[in-house]
Amino acid sequence: MSSQAHSDHSPDRSAEGTHRPEPSRRSVLYGAAGLAGAGLAATAIAGTLAAPAAAAQVSAAPRAHPGRAAGAPSPAEPVIVHIRDLRSGEMDVFAGEATARLHDPGLAARLVHAVR
Amino acid sequence: MSSHREAPEISMDPVADSTDLYAFVSPDRPNTVTLIANYIPLQAPAGGPNFYQFGDDVRYAIHIDNDGDGKADITYSFTFHSRLRDPETFLYNTGPITALNSPNWNTRQFYSVHRSADGGGAGTELGKNLACPPCNIGPLSTPNYDKLAADAVHDLGYGIRVFAGQRAEGFYVDLGAIFDLGDLRPFENLHNQYGMNVFSGPAPGVNATNQLNVHSIAIQVPIRELVQKGASGEADPKSVIGVWTTASRQAASVFDAETGKTVSSGPFRQVSRLGNPLINEVIIALGDKDRWNALPPVDDKQFAHYYAHPGLAAALPSLYPGVFPNLAALVKSGKARADLEAILLTGIPSGIIPGFQNGTGPVLSDMLRLNTAIPPSGNPNILGLLGGDLAGFPNGRRVFDDIVTVELRAVAGLTFALVDPSFTPDSAASAVTDGLTNTSVKAPYLNTFPYLGVPYSGFDNPS
Repeated sequence: MSSQAHSDHSPDRSAEGTHRPEPSRRSVLYGAAGLAGAGLAATAIAGTLAAPAAAAQVSAAPRAHPGRAAGAPSPAEPVIVHIRDLRSGEMDVFAGEATARLHDPGLAARLVHAVR
Repeated sequence: MSSHREAPEISMDPVADSTDLYAFVSPDRPNTVTLIANYIPLQAPAGGPNFYQFGDDVRYAIHIDNDGDGKADITYSFTFHSRLRDPETFLYNTGPITALNSPNWNTRQFYSVHRSADGGGAGTELGKNLACPPCNIGPLSTPNYDKLAADAVHDLGYGIRVFAGQRAEGFYVDLGAIFDLGDLRPFENLHNQYGMNVFSGPAPGVNATNQLNVHSIAIQVPIRELVQKGASGEADPKSVIGVWTTASRQAASVFDAETGKTVSSGPFRQVSRLGNPLINEVIIALGDKDRWNALPPVDDKQFAHYYAHPGLAAALPSLYPGVFPNLAALVKSGKARADLEAILLTGIPSGIIPGFQNGTGPVLSDMLRLNTAIPPSGNPNILGLLGGDLAGFPNGRRVFDDIVTVELRAVAGLTFALVDPSFTPDSAASAVTDGLTNTSVKAPYLNTFPYLGVPYSGFDNPS
């Protein structure tokens, strides 16, 4: 795991994470491309996951954690999907500091199809 | 090692790898407790140009249970962020670093501290943008290191002090011998040597962690902030706290090849845990180590059999034939090691050791237990309770305590007589050691916060 040093040209600037790189959908799908079947995929927030995920069976609610409000991701943060079982469409969605388990075989199939 | 590289998963993630945990009544401020959690093991001081720092993507925490249920009542969490002044240079520093805001220091790190109650909520922010000191590089880069480190001790108000940064490794252990099939150099001529007759006589111990550094998270807190209300005196169970440290990472990570960075998402999940020293190192079996690291102390009942029947106790009689006959008989009897369960999982209740208790009740949970009403010793003994010093391990743990010898002797049966008066410990049980003491550490311990010695500089070490 890498520690991320953010560029800061101003010696006295105290803002955090001002230069965090924003992953593109293409780049995160590259990250998932080496994983077959049950695997890990990711997309920028508001990407293709939004509509199917809303329709899918959700079995776990997002949880808030210390240090960040309500577990909601910021626009710069990735949404990562871990497809646990392709056949049943069981997948974990990670966003901000929250997670949810979905069951959506169609969405799982489309995600895998996108990287094959 | 106390908990350095102790489990398969965490051995591949050094910045999240807890190495040692200390909890003691501060000798120079006895109305406070000092808690120190060390991370990033076995740092070679010259390890540049990217010198060691905490993980910006790791959430570090020190937890306190003050009602004996194995769950955190108070948690101090620490989150770090690095700032790079000039991405156009390869250098950690472009000139001498003479102050924490030196323009010559390129890769700086800052942190925030939060306090939360009962394991929930965002908690209260105690401090933010707190500066870490640089690593100790050498006479040109960090010419007055003591002052830099002292300036990185932050007073947060309410009697709370914090420090986060590099320190000298204070834990001493003969790793090279112990992990060579249980060799203890002072007794290695008595080792079975697997028939190879390598050793003809005893030899002094070698401190494998000498002249290495760690990264410490230290916080000093008034005792009244940690114990239950109404705690009163050494005999009062309310005076006892249980302490452990954890490191957590977000559950999902993806390496972004376009930026060369890892991006993470999801809730933070615990990847490292440390309460009592050496537990996940030598008590928990290999197949359970990663899971142990991911669980809270309240779930430790499932691991109780490892404490009751430690593999090391079974190994000693065969490694040292004829040296531990009574221990061999105890192991053969199948009796549970109630002494180890008490010391490590419940604390020692009243009535076992005259004038002492650090029991927290029946919940089996691996926590470093400290009776905060026992004052610091004016004449500390590095063997702690075994040496008659009630202020030392396993009543908390001080930076200089010889926890290797204490636990070796306990596992060898020395403490079993406390719970079974019919048992006679082997004479070797009160003599066994890896041959090291606190004098085996080159950098002197400090008498004041943060107590661990000034880190070794890369220029001078190894020497």
